[in-house]
Amino acid sequence: MTGYAIRRGLTVIPVLVGVSLLVFSFVHLIPGDPALTMLGERATPEKVTEVRARLGLDRPLWEQYLLYVRKVVHGDLGVSIVRGDPVATDLWRRFPATVELAGAAMILATVIGVPLGVVCAVRRNSLIDSLARVGALTGVSMPIFWLGLVLAWIFGVQLGLLPTGFRLDSESTFKPVTNFVILDALVQRQWAVLGDALRHLILPAVALATIPLAVITRMTRASLLEELTRDYIRTARAKGLSQLAVIVRHGLGNALLPVLTVIGLQTGRLLAGAILTETIFSWPGIGLWVYESIESRDYAIVQGATLFIAVIVVVVNLATDLLYAVADPRIKYS
Amino acid sequence: MRLGRLACFVALVLQVTVASAIAQTFVFGAQGEPVQLDPAVITDGISGRITRQIYDGLVKYKGATTEVEPSLAQSWEVSPDGKVWTFTLRRNVKFHDGTPFDAKAVVWNFERWWKTSHPQHDNQVKAGQTFEYWEGQFGGFDDKSIVTKVEATGSHTLRVTLKDPQAPFLANLAMFVFDIASPAAVEKWGTEFGKHPVGTGAYKFVEWKPNQEVVLEANPDYWGVKPKVKRVVVRNIKDNSQRLGALKAGEIHGMEGLNPDDVAVVRRDPNLQVLLRPTNTTGYIAFNYKVKEFQDKRVRQAFAYAINRGAIVDALYGGTGMAATQFQPPPLWGYNKDVKGYEYSPAKAQDLLKEAGLSGGLSTITWDDGKKEPLVFWYMSRSRPYFPSPKEIGEAMAVDLAKVGIKAQLQTAEWAVYLDKRKNGQMPLYMLGWTGDNGDPDNFLCYFFCSPGVSREGFYANQPLADVLLRAQKLTNQAERAKLYRQAEQILHDDAGRLFIANNQPPLAFAKKVKGYVTHPTGSEYFNTVELQ
Repeated sequence: MTGYAIRRGLTVIPVLVGVSLLVFSFVHLIPGDPALTMLGERATPEKVTEVRARLGLDRPLWEQYLLYVRKVVHGDLGVSIVRGDPVATDLWRRFPATVELAGAAMILATVIGVPLGVVCAVRRNSLIDSLARVGALTGVSMPIFWLGLVLAWIFGVQLGLLPTGFRLDSESTFKPVTNFVILDALVQRQWAVLGDALRHLILPAVALATIPLAVITRMTRASLLEELTRDYIRTARAKGLSQLAVIVRHGLGNALLPVLTVIGLQTGRLLAGAILTETIFSWPGIGLWVYESIESRDYAIVQGATLFIAVIVVVVNLATDLLYAVADPRIKYS
Repeated sequence: MRLGRLACFVALVLQVTVASAIAQTFVFGAQGEPVQLDPAVITDGISGRITRQIYDGLVKYKGATTEVEPSLAQSWEVSPDGKVWTFTLRRNVKFHDGTPFDAKAVVWNFERWWKTSHPQHDNQVKAGQTFEYWEGQFGGFDDKSIVTKVEATGSHTLRVTLKDPQAPFLANLAMFVFDIASPAAVEKWGTEFGKHPVGTGAYKFVEWKPNQEVVLEANPDYWGVKPKVKRVVVRNIKDNSQRLGALKAGEIHGMEGLNPDDVAVVRRDPNLQVLLRPTNTTGYIAFNYKVKEFQDKRVRQAFAYAINRGAIVDALYGGTGMAATQFQPPPLWGYNKDVKGYEYSPAKAQDLLKEAGLSGGLSTITWDDGKKEPLVFWYMSRSRPYFPSPKEIGEAMAVDLAKVGIKAQLQTAEWAVYLDKRKNGQMPLYMLGWTGDNGDPDNFLCYFFCSPGVSREGFYANQPLADVLLRAQKLTNQAERAKLYRQAEQILHDDAGRLFIANNQPPLAFAKKVKGYVTHPTGSEYFNTVELQ
């Protein structure tokens, strides 16, 4: 297992090199001169040249890339072109908000998706199955930004039940220590703040959870249906085991393996979805930050955050692979 | 029973406390995150809106006009040759950090803006920040600058000497970028000062939560109109619809960046109100003068008569636009009331085209080097105050042009590419516009027309126009200058050098209970007059 983990870990290196190359080069492939975009309509040619030199855009590409890699390896993701702040520091400051949102969405998607998938598989072709399938299809095909706006409009504007954005009320003077607001509120026993934070979390988490929820439900259903037709399930039933025991103890254990992979893969999608969700709900995480930086062409931030997100996706997928061995004792890595 | 009454009382007290706490905070929804809060190095309105609350300048704009009135300078005099300005400064004013505001502090600020050797100038530049507006408005740094000497002639008197008279000198100083910062605080924080702003303004800086909000609190010792609201929160809500949602839900009290379609929605809502910012922005169509057909004035005039500006403004500006007659918007003092603009007359347009030998219409253009190609009309890919929905406006204009036989293909490009093409003079016909910085006509006209024949202006060369504008720049008497700017507008109109399409009054939305918000053409608006009723 350890050997496998190391070997599997090593395969990540070429992936990361590829990612760094992509991240580095896409900035140079998209049209438009970044210096000119930053300076806007009033740019004088001298100013453009000056900014290009300052950003190192006047050097050869390979030199820019090598310089970039060397800095990244040292944990230096450069400084924001617009604000001049170190990208790595800002990244860490904003990461907790995204983790909180993506974590809540993933929990929501799993906690609802898996049982719903099970119910659909067991009650195959029943009304609830049909409804859930239609719902899942809708969930997969619904644009997050649209859903986010609709949710905010209904629950925030029309019903006034939940806030339409942000992590805390504008009246709040709470100062989080770690930037994990929920965690900080719990540790400091600030129950009102905790309630406020949770209220703010509901709508964005629901919006972000929709797609993973739909995928997980469909995957669980399909996978469990397949398992339920297997011989060992028939044997278990023949032994007189209860329906619950057959499904939960025997069927689900095996059916969840592909679901685990899907959950791992959804992490990437969640982080991508976070860009839209955070923008709609003014959620101060990496997504909103990246969106603003794309708009202002703050390449250093776009590069840094993309690389960071790519690393997270790679690491989560690696972890999922390794978890396989834990979840399925039949799998032996040699 | 007693317990019940007590509970009711407590509930009532709580309610009242919560209500009064809310009334003490004015929450404004901004379109984005400030870049930083050091006025000297910023150029964007989002940052400027916040710094305006924290700092004061020597002078400020009067109410909703672009006329200049005293602020930290109580009065001033200018020498007859227009080169020496003497300011008398307000006494007993302190920065938020407790240090005194005096002539020395102002000299220090000027030197920081102006001298590249100033340690607090040099370190900003090394950190990638530039004093862009100083360079733009005062001719450059060190010896290049129009400012040659700034000296404290007393504890509260200041003398600024200029190389040449500069007509918009005071209007320039009223811009938010020339607000006065606390020298002690700048020296303390260095390049981090933009995150710890200290001025003399009506509000003190409390906190900046990245990507979320900036929190300010009232300055009880403010020398001017004391703030009516204790706390101000400027929240960053990127999406226009979501910002309006937050306003409707009562989470914010005011906002900018209203979609044109939403103006009517807000007007219908009994709890909301729309305030229009006096127009300071003009959208235009520019010709490329390397195109042979456009070198003929009759062809340009045909374009002007062909476009139904009134209909476009009515249909696509949400009731906040006005058909433009000239480059300067009406509130500017150089505006020429006698220039009425070209009326909508397809018949006249067709006649002019015929006269110019284009009776068959125009669909192919000829570049200076003889190359022929289909006429492409470029529209912007990004919404701007002057063209809030550029694609639709472009389409409407193309339809109008087609009616008189001018068949243009519409095309756009990513914003950076668009600006690049414009800079290099590669677009034959394109949309763009201008938003004024300081309310001075020079800021509109001279930037474009003082250097004839440059590529970024489509190679338009009109020497008589440039001469008038350069003459106006050297005068200090506003009445004389106004005459020259009116003349400039007439020249530009007669030559149909550029087609001015619309002025827009950017709409802001507020809860009905917000009173006392004064909109300003430059967007420099102060929150100290705002009340929540």
